[in-house]
Amino acid sequence: MAMVATLIAILILFLTPYLWIVMTSFKTRLDILSDAPVWFFTPTSENYPTIFIDKNYLPLVWNSMIVASFSTILSLAFGTPAAYVFARFEFPGKEDLFFFFLTTRMAPPISIVVPMFLLFSVLGLTDKPIAVILAHTTFNVSLVVWMMRGFFADIPREIDEAAMMDGHTRGGTFLRVLLPLAAPGLAATAVLCFILSWNEFLYAFILVAFEGRTLTVGIPGLVTPHGTLWGQVTSVAVVATLPILFFTFLVQKHLVRGLTFGAVKG
Amino acid sequence: MSVSFNQISKVFADGTVGLDHLDLKFDKGEFIVLLGPSGSGKTTACRILAGLEEATSGSVKVDNLEVTSLPPRERNMGMVFQNYALYGHKTVYENIAYPLRIRKIDKGNIDNRVKAIAKVLQIEDFLDRRPSQLSGGQAQRVAVARAMVWSPDICLMDEPLSNLDALLRLKTRTELKRLHGDLGQTFVFVTHDQEEAMTLGTRIAVLNQGKLAQFDTPRQVYHEPATRFVAEFIGRPAMNIIEGEIKDCVFKSGPFELAVKGQPDGPVALGVRPEQIVLKEVSTDESVGFNLDVLELVEPDALLFVNKGDTSLVVRVMHDIGDLDRGSEVHLEFPDHARHFFEISDGRRRS
Repeated sequence: MAMVATLIAILILFLTPYLWIVMTSFKTRLDILSDAPVWFFTPTSENYPTIFIDKNYLPLVWNSMIVASFSTILSLAFGTPAAYVFARFEFPGKEDLFFFFLTTRMAPPISIVVPMFLLFSVLGLTDKPIAVILAHTTFNVSLVVWMMRGFFADIPREIDEAAMMDGHTRGGTFLRVLLPLAAPGLAATAVLCFILSWNEFLYAFILVAFEGRTLTVGIPGLVTPHGTLWGQVTSVAVVATLPILFFTFLVQKHLVRGLTFGAVKG
Repeated sequence: MSVSFNQISKVFADGTVGLDHLDLKFDKGEFIVLLGPSGSGKTTACRILAGLEEATSGSVKVDNLEVTSLPPRERNMGMVFQNYALYGHKTVYENIAYPLRIRKIDKGNIDNRVKAIAKVLQIEDFLDRRPSQLSGGQAQRVAVARAMVWSPDICLMDEPLSNLDALLRLKTRTELKRLHGDLGQTFVFVTHDQEEAMTLGTRIAVLNQGKLAQFDTPRQVYHEPATRFVAEFIGRPAMNIIEGEIKDCVFKSGPFELAVKGQPDGPVALGVRPEQIVLKEVSTDESVGFNLDVLELVEPDALLFVNKGDTSLVVRVMHDIGDLDRGSEVHLEFPDHARHFFEISDGRRRS
């Protein structure tokens, strides 16, 4: 009973702000700005069309999709083979190198953003989604390496050996046998990468300003000198959380396992 | 076809010596058993033959063709692993068919071969299942089927029976022997179980600390062990070894004395198998008296644990011996053919 009560308390604590955001996105400006919190109101459907059609925020959803998808794909493409090598091979300095991947995430992101901006402007990539994709890939790769190593280590070595005896090359073993077996872990890692990239604000904000803006960057544009447009802000926020809700429910079982497992075993 | 290990050594990254200049040669169609305790290098030898482990030095030849640095897929060998290593995301049928698919055999042919081998191993009814739905014995048979379906020259097995329960192990052992007789492929079988080795092998390679102790037929290994190690490792209960000294044709170890012929003087280890010691009802010219310490009845056999001074022996009697009391004197004979003499220094058999 105590367990259930605790869970309910935690749920209320975490869900109330989210419910408030959802409610606010359906409120009129009058209801939003009233002195006392308004729990019961006549919902309005004006906020969503205003922000996504009239203010043309729909392409931002598309940009966020592009950035999150491609940075996820790139991170997996680079990180998964590396994780496989860490799980299976012995070489000098292996654990140091493995730890180095983690240290890339230890510096405060803001300390790297200016050098990265300069780098991208030299390359002529600023204000293009590819800049954000690459930036997000740099920090998601380490996440992939750390999580996937645990999933690969979980598969017995004999499976690799059996596949090689059955006629595969090392590469074929990885692509045809190990990847399908690690698919649940791969999916969980992909979702986590996607969420991190989707939610990321700082790099997206600095590296693109106009056409390539993502949803997170779009929100501060609604904080105007005449006041914050809360109805529209919350509408964007609600839309921004939908993919995350969807993916998290899809792979939540593997997600928890992947996080704890990779961390403990790595 | 023949397989030969030439001066194969393996030193692992942490400095442990897996194999120490191993020389081994055998022919097509044999059932070779690599036998030894853990750490003897038997599995390493098997994995080097498979190409899963790289030898530090030396060469492996198959049909006089150097295969030492070839990857596993180019060696024409199948392998059964101790934990079976079946692909969990594929059905039994697809597991067995997989080596054929990789080798791009056409579909109809694959189907014929999978069904044929499934019939031989009696797993036709499980072809649609997943490996997780199989019992240990079934999974083991699927692993054998996968290793043999494409008719490789050599079938390697790394302790394939050790995860099965005792009864199933005996049954599978007999099946493997029959399979070898039917298919005529070369089998290389790794085990630490001397009984498995004795029943399965056409020849047994006994390994100890990375070195080949003896390579011979089970009969020879039993009757003429080349070293003290082999003598003690083969046969249960283990061979009795008494360390002592020969002087003027008498072997002496404490109060235990035995007349021996044709052996030079000097320190020596005398070995006698428990089942070859003869129990006499009365004292004879050749018998030696021992005190009975413990009597174990393992019907239909009886194990007698006897001692004389510091010398303790196990005697296995395979007939009814009636009642014997603890502490009573028993009279034992050690026939000439049952005596083995080993050097104390290096454990080699005295010629």
